[in-house]
Amino acid sequence: MPNIVVLVKQVPDTYSERKLASADHTLDRASADAVLDEINERAVEEALQIKEAQGGEVTVLTVGPERATDAIRKALSMGADKAVHVSDESLHGADIIQTAKVLAKAIGTVEGYDLIIAGNESTDGVGGAIPAMLAELLGLPQLTHARKVEIDGTSVKVERETDAGRTFLEAALPAVISVGEKINDPRYPSFKGIMAAKKKPVTTLTIADLGIDASEVGLANAASQVLESAPKPPRAAGQQITDEGDGGSKIAEYLVSQKLI
Amino acid sequence: MKFALSPEQAQFADTLDALLAKSDVARAWAAGDHEPGLAVWRHLADLGVTSVAQDGEPVDLVVAMEAVGFHALPGPAIETLAVLPGHTDGALLATVAIPPHVPYAVDAHVAERVFVLRNGVLFTGTPGQRISSVDPCRALFEVTPATEVGPLDGAFDRGVLACSAQLLGAGRALLARSVDYVKQRTQFGKPIGSFQAVKHQLASVHVGLELARPVVYGAALNAVPVSAAKIAAGDAAYRAARTALQVHGAIGYTVENDLSLWLSKVRALHTAWGTGSVHRARVMATLTRPAGPH
Repeated sequence: MPNIVVLVKQVPDTYSERKLASADHTLDRASADAVLDEINERAVEEALQIKEAQGGEVTVLTVGPERATDAIRKALSMGADKAVHVSDESLHGADIIQTAKVLAKAIGTVEGYDLIIAGNESTDGVGGAIPAMLAELLGLPQLTHARKVEIDGTSVKVERETDAGRTFLEAALPAVISVGEKINDPRYPSFKGIMAAKKKPVTTLTIADLGIDASEVGLANAASQVLESAPKPPRAAGQQITDEGDGGSKIAEYLVSQKLI
Repeated sequence: MKFALSPEQAQFADTLDALLAKSDVARAWAAGDHEPGLAVWRHLADLGVTSVAQDGEPVDLVVAMEAVGFHALPGPAIETLAVLPGHTDGALLATVAIPPHVPYAVDAHVAERVFVLRNGVLFTGTPGQRISSVDPCRALFEVTPATEVGPLDGAFDRGVLACSAQLLGAGRALLARSVDYVKQRTQFGKPIGSFQAVKHQLASVHVGLELARPVVYGAALNAVPVSAAKIAAGDAAYRAARTALQVHGAIGYTVENDLSLWLSKVRALHTAWGTGSVHRARVMATLTRPAGPH
């Protein structure tokens, strides 16, 4: 009966215009619709499938501002049992390392966890480093980019897929895994699931509750800072050549000029 | 009165939007291929949408029917969700005729349960001749009563409310498609939506729908008669359809353009479940009656 913690993140909807705040170049969360990151829906789905097959409990964990409760509610309405929400003003502008440290402490508040499931990377930060950092901080094995997960008593087997190919991994529990796009198709929350989510326990914690000092976190204490940002320049129009019998050689000339042939 | 949806209702609406936006089943349904549509209905049943009238509040039903209207989902939605819950006996879809204002049963060839309601008494029904509808997604059937099931209260009013919500959703879809279209279609070197003659018409459609919405939700909460909701939503959606057709120009008349799915649906629903004059008479009756509940 594995006890599973799923890491979720509320992100700006990829369909809305995403930008950085002009004041401090952090993500402008207010200007866009906020949704549960799609890869997290897959992480929750995987945890629920394991729970449905083997029993256990699914706890959702997020670090984010107050409105991130919407993302928690979505995960709970899909079928997760309870949630932990770390919400603290001083975390504004936190970098990935700080976030991983906060997550590690928060996971410590969940009793007897066997498995931590995360998405492989968020659609807003696209850092993709949290699962690895978390595994390091907790001293646990990391099995990332999973497209298939099997839990067998005290061990976990993962089929890992990246651009480089597939690898087959196995580790003893507890462990940290991250899932990729191909892992599953997340379910839609049912009407009863949505109504039931209202009554599920959500523990809200500040960094003080986790024994973290405000001087260790936030934008001022981040290892890196964004100094300047500009929208991506529009793609320049390509060069058009009308074929007057010499089209082939014009293409060849272009490729030679780019040192491609 | 508070008309804002609760976070749960908003999430329910988002879930239905996400699911139904991926379901392009209306054309197959109209052509007699019901399987893709039935698959969507099975998914909705799994999520508890078809039993929302029993498990939720009346507003939840309105949220569901608005989504059905917005996405032009075919099938006897009003009948299954609003009128007959508790009488489906595990069947996916059910349909009913309630003469005189609902003389025919919609999609009686697809629904596993067919009923007739006469003078407040429910009978199982035997489908007869098929009648053509302006909406190719709605197959209408004459039904003759067979076995008595028992009394069924409030069925017509529940159907009227659900029909109002469906019209509201369909009207919103027509407006959304029209606004998208007039921003893309150019004439005299500008998008046609930049011309006052076009944008004022669409603004009027928007105002009509916005004013109809609280009436529909108010009717769900029993604050206004369902007949008022039907008039408001029906007229607003019908105006949306007429305006959508006009701003789309000739392409809007074609069956190939998806606009036709909503145009024909709204034309059918505008007079289904009681015409405007029937409902105006009912509202009149509530106003002139001595004090009491609606």
